[in-house]
Amino acid sequence: MLDVWKKTQRNNERPRMLGRNDKILYKLLLLITIISASFVILIAVFITLRGILPFITDNSGLGSVDLWNFFTDTVWLRGQTFVSTAYGAGFLILNTLYIVFLSLLISFPISVFTAVFIAKIAPEKLAYLMRTAVEMMASIPSIVYGLVGAGVVLPIIYNTARSLGTHSSGGNSTLAVVIVLAFMSIPTITAVSEVSIRNVDENLEKASLALGASNIQTQFKVVLIAAKSGIFAGVILAVGRALGEATAVSLVAGNSRSGPNFGLFDITSTITSTMLQGLKETQGIDYDIRFSLGVLLMVVIVITNVLLNLVKRKVGKLHG
Amino acid sequence: MKKIIVLLVLIAIGFVTLGCGNDGFDSSQRPSVYTRDTTSGTRDGFMKGIGFGDAAANDSLLVDGFATRDNNAIMQAMTIDEYGIGYISLASLNDTVKGVNFNGVEPTVENVINDTYDLKRPFMYMLRANDDWESQEIKEIAHAFIAFLHSIDGGDIINDQGAVALPSNYTWESVRDTHPICQGDNSALTLRFGGSDSIQRIAEALSAEFSPRCGNVVTENDHTGSGDAFRRTQGDQKDQVVGKHIGYASRPFRGDELNTPDDTRGQLAWDAIVVIIHKDNPVDSLTAEQIKRIYSGEYETWEDVIE
Repeated sequence: MLDVWKKTQRNNERPRMLGRNDKILYKLLLLITIISASFVILIAVFITLRGILPFITDNSGLGSVDLWNFFTDTVWLRGQTFVSTAYGAGFLILNTLYIVFLSLLISFPISVFTAVFIAKIAPEKLAYLMRTAVEMMASIPSIVYGLVGAGVVLPIIYNTARSLGTHSSGGNSTLAVVIVLAFMSIPTITAVSEVSIRNVDENLEKASLALGASNIQTQFKVVLIAAKSGIFAGVILAVGRALGEATAVSLVAGNSRSGPNFGLFDITSTITSTMLQGLKETQGIDYDIRFSLGVLLMVVIVITNVLLNLVKRKVGKLHG
Repeated sequence: MKKIIVLLVLIAIGFVTLGCGNDGFDSSQRPSVYTRDTTSGTRDGFMKGIGFGDAAANDSLLVDGFATRDNNAIMQAMTIDEYGIGYISLASLNDTVKGVNFNGVEPTVENVINDTYDLKRPFMYMLRANDDWESQEIKEIAHAFIAFLHSIDGGDIINDQGAVALPSNYTWESVRDTHPICQGDNSALTLRFGGSDSIQRIAEALSAEFSPRCGNVVTENDHTGSGDAFRRTQGDQKDQVVGKHIGYASRPFRGDELNTPDDTRGQLAWDAIVVIIHKDNPVDSLTAEQIKRIYSGEYETWEDVIE
């Protein structure tokens, strides 16, 4: 999708001479663009300003939060709420990355296979039907995924854990979060992958078939390889969504207060679920620290995105 | 391709058969502990009620691996988790879970009214400061409301909603004349309520009954959490659009909230908290000490509790 967009952008050269009306329109559009872009900056600045408060002020006599401790500690809060400032989010970073990685292990293969099926193998009518279904899935609000997770996934996980001889807290677990996030990522990766698979040069396919490769061989060894850059773009989008998902996650995570929680049937928590927990009820330092988590989350998302984009560029270059 | 399909089918069958395995209560399992968040009023009432007040706002004192969920999620978890233990408001209790007797007393509305059931928390209110009202009329109406709240009529409404009003010895009828503002037409004035969402149903019922008794004053209930009772009446948000005339809190006031004039706050009712477990759990009654030992992790299995 991104590649196609870039291509059309390159072909649209801008007209050099502008009439008066064009100039007015140009300025108007520029203004609107600046306004919408500045919202992003405004949000980032607001969250950051609020988020560094716990570290630089003495929090009305409680003392400031230790930055190193915040990044590395394995317990959310040592001591009493509203009294202690020993906040730690180190385990939340690990939990969040671990969960997103596991959910990708499930959603990536399923999405890519679905995309190949829709783009290349399914008959036209079926493909249209499934494409619509995937698009609809992508637009379902996350709270609905969370409710499905809480109502359907939790009992299954509880019973599974029980038959395996272990015990989970009513199904609230890492596995439940991973499954819910995987379900949420599948439509995103599928939709983007499907477009990029359809955009693979038909001549490549024909060449492969002419050389004697079977249809399945062609799809998996030629088309998929050629579309990998677009597929990766879908993965990046999905990872962004998964990292930032709060509502659905906090409905099935169990919200542990210490960690890191690597056990599949143990309760867990992520940066976002911790931000959401008790947000409406709290005040003072316990409220401000949630903005610090917001800053932390933005940093994690930016770093992950940069790394993934680097990988994407590397992967894109291999085999052309 | 065939192998993959066979594998998928096997996994699916595995899940189904695993899901069906269910062989009664195994008391050698550890209790899985559920709690509300440290900012919850219910948690505050619960922890203090079982003599574990230190843990009201301190998660590090609780047993390892406890889950933090909200009222409904704890209810729902207890329908699935045979080894779970949690707590909810008495008003939310239904027969999908088992409400445990506290110190031998059954969790019923009657037992809270006759003060034998001890696991409960206060419902509080806070008014704006005496010199901080947008008009004298609104101030008088708000004070009339507080008088109504403490009357037998107000108490009936509170009791009807599942909470327990404080004892009262006067009717609204008998004090109405001391609030002349209620004789006139107040339909152009709006009294704004906020604060705890646990009190929302009670507060809305009170507002609805009070309005016709006081010149049809318009009432507005916007409930966002106990913390906002103070914040939006006398705290930093009191002059913003979300500012309120009366705020409710479902826990005792604390910290900064107590630096307010005594005559601007008070209690309107008690709310009972119930310890709930799965229906298959053989336990019927727990003492405060037993519950505390479960929550602190001293009891490692349900066997320890039952002994």
